[in-house]
Amino acid sequence: MQQIATLLFVLCAGMGLSVEAGLLGPLGEQVGHLSATLSIFLVGGLLLTLAMVFIGRPPLTTLFQQPRWLLTGGLLGPIYVVVLTLTTPIVGVGMTMVGILCGQIGASLIIDHFGLLGSERRAIDGYRLLALALIFLALWLIY
Amino acid sequence: MMLTLVFPLLLLGGAVLAAQSSVNGRLGAKVGVLASAWLTFVIGAVVTFLLVFFFEPAHSATLFSVPKWQLTGALFGVVYMLAIVFAVPRVGTAAATVAVISGQLIMSLLVDHFGWLDNDRLPLDPSRLAAIVLLAGALFLIYLSNARRERQTASA
Repeated sequence: MQQIATLLFVLCAGMGLSVEAGLLGPLGEQVGHLSATLSIFLVGGLLLTLAMVFIGRPPLTTLFQQPRWLLTGGLLGPIYVVVLTLTTPIVGVGMTMVGILCGQIGASLIIDHFGLLGSERRAIDGYRLLALALIFLALWLIY
Repeated sequence: MMLTLVFPLLLLGGAVLAAQSSVNGRLGAKVGVLASAWLTFVIGAVVTFLLVFFFEPAHSATLFSVPKWQLTGALFGVVYMLAIVFAVPRVGTAAATVAVISGQLIMSLLVDHFGWLDNDRLPLDPSRLAAIVLLAGALFLIYLSNARRERQTASA
């Protein structure tokens, strides 16, 4: 039950992400795609900084006691943006989205299967393979 | 020909997103959801600032001159990051990824259908409706996979 609620919450967050992409595309045309991305990270980072000051209960020092590779999440997002700006003019938006989604879903299944990056192991089983097939079918129908 | 060069790059672009979810989720489980999301945005801002500073070609408009509503996308990005950091340790990377992607695709189909955000209207046809059903099915299957795993660990 709690799982379903979590998944629905994430689904709604994903819907928001589409709205973000809808705003970001035209903005990028006007000011450049890197600048548009900067606006997301900058505004988001500043808002979260305020949130940290007022509602965070950080022993912030614990953050820097973690292994350093755990702190690199912020380096990965910009890689995605650079790939996006490089490839969209070459192969178009549709192909770019399909490629990104394939990489994203494939990697997430592999990370779970082997328990990589410190995550719990969740092996690939029949359900997951079938889910993968349904997603590919859906992508094929959309694009 | 071009595609064989570009496609591995695209797969890499997607793979780093999944890796990011996983790393952030792990960090969030240790130091808290808010701190993990905060660090991601701050580092992301630092890196993209450097990229803009050195690599962005000049444009006639700047972030300071465009209408302010165009800068509100970050609100959605923040909610997304908090949701991911919260969800990954609880449901796993794949389930969280599939949920996000389903939400994105369903919303983009709705945006097309109603022509929101100044987009051209592109009505839902049967194949797009079928795609929504398939995505919901995929999400449910991942849920079943997780549920079975929990039963097994409970009985073990």
